[in-house]
Amino acid sequence: MSPSGPLQLGFIPLVDAAPLIVAQEKGFFAAEGLAVSLSREGSWATIRDKVAAGALDGAHMLAPMVLAASLGIGSEPKAMIAPIALNRGGAAVTLSSRLTGDGDAGAGLTHLVRRRQEEGASPLTLAAVYPFSIHNYLLRHWLAGLGLNPDVDIRLTVVPPPRTAALLGEGVIEGFCAGAPWNAVAEAAGVGQTVVRMTEVWPEAPDKVLGVTEFWAAANPAILQSLIRALARAGAWAADPHNQPELVALLARPEFLDAAPEAIAAGLAEISFDGAAVNPPRREQAAWLLEQMARWGQIGEVAIDKVAERTWRPDLYTAALGG
Amino acid sequence: MRVLIIDPDPARAALVAEGLDGIDPLKVRVAAVFDEIDVTAFQPDVVVVASESPDRDTLESLREASAVNPRPVVMFVDRSEPGLAEEAVRAGVAAYVVDGLSAARVRPVLEVAMSRFHLMHQLRADLAKAKADLASRKSVERAKALLMKERDLDEEAAYRLLRKLSMDTGRPLGAVAADLLAFAGVLKGGDPT
Repeated sequence: MSPSGPLQLGFIPLVDAAPLIVAQEKGFFAAEGLAVSLSREGSWATIRDKVAAGALDGAHMLAPMVLAASLGIGSEPKAMIAPIALNRGGAAVTLSSRLTGDGDAGAGLTHLVRRRQEEGASPLTLAAVYPFSIHNYLLRHWLAGLGLNPDVDIRLTVVPPPRTAALLGEGVIEGFCAGAPWNAVAEAAGVGQTVVRMTEVWPEAPDKVLGVTEFWAAANPAILQSLIRALARAGAWAADPHNQPELVALLARPEFLDAAPEAIAAGLAEISFDGAAVNPPRREQAAWLLEQMARWGQIGEVAIDKVAERTWRPDLYTAALGG
Repeated sequence: MRVLIIDPDPARAALVAEGLDGIDPLKVRVAAVFDEIDVTAFQPDVVVVASESPDRDTLESLREASAVNPRPVVMFVDRSEPGLAEEAVRAGVAAYVVDGLSAARVRPVLEVAMSRFHLMHQLRADLAKAKADLASRKSVERAKALLMKERDLDEEAAYRLLRKLSMDTGRPLGAVAADLLAFAGVLKGGDPT
């Protein structure tokens, strides 16, 4: 944190940024005595770099990104930690309406991939939102379940979530895995159909976490405790059905998601923000994420337990909120 | 060396491109968004990208899919110069280079980009200030005219009254003048704007 200024926290315009936005707008940060400035960022890479460089004190992060940054995969190594998980659910795979038709979308996709291979055509392109994301792992896992090799039979790319519906419509990509509200946006635009949701495959997978550097956490223990409490309470507020209309209107605002309220509401229905099963960062989750990274060749041999212990910090969560 | 600049802000991209003019040998291309076909055709050695561009995440994925992708990239971090990466982050610039390109060749490109991003930021701030100054001067002129008419003052006295209001309230002259105009509008039953 800058010596006197407010805490700088970054977020990506997604429904699951709700705990940060709610904490700011509904006074949960203020109740903890925290002055916070929220900064909307355009990419996960910039979130990671700004947190690493200290331009942000902390941020809304993809859970596997904390691990990748700490291991120095895809960037210079910087020890980061997850002291609270923000949500579960919300990610889903959406395929182009051209593929889904009336029948089984997975069978249709497999059929098309094989036919194009016989014809010697280029592989179909599908997109995830970032290499180190459960979205990437869900998409790959789902493809593998169809008997497809995501590294051979498909061309996987990364597309910024706000562009997914347009690129699907233009036929640049044939499908994508992204968080809310982007699947609902593509469906509303009539260009895609959601075929599988995270909640159906890995309901317990941690999606976004609060990410801070280990250095910052050690230097600001009291502020971090306040931050964890404020985010947990904001998550409880966001999860309360009575608050849904207000939450939808808040997230839809131009400075936050700048997206259609209907798509946001549809996304919210898929996401859990609150509870003992959601917020405490459990080390077996970190271990599971590391296994996904290893499965797809992003990491080699690592000491899973050691990495999980250093990065996932239930001790800090408990210290802030009690067991 | 071939440099691709990806920046949603076309004026800033042009400024960076112009700044790179002195570096030789060089071919520069500017794009608002990452376009795979375009990039494949241009074959850049260096991609300079604005931090605010969502395309950074796409660029980071290129090294992941190196088996099928023609342009594997790594983010440029010069270990011999501590603080350079942080400086670039704060300036709002990231650079990706084709694996193996030497730091010595990339650094001048990144330095030009950083300085131009700073320059653009400064220009924008100056422009915003100039606009605010102009608006403030217009408000003062109109408030002065209002006071001259309503209070039957000469120009000098009307200005002194505004300045006294400004000093008494500790607020800028332009703000006091704008308030006065808004109140006058309300009192007359008109639209305060």
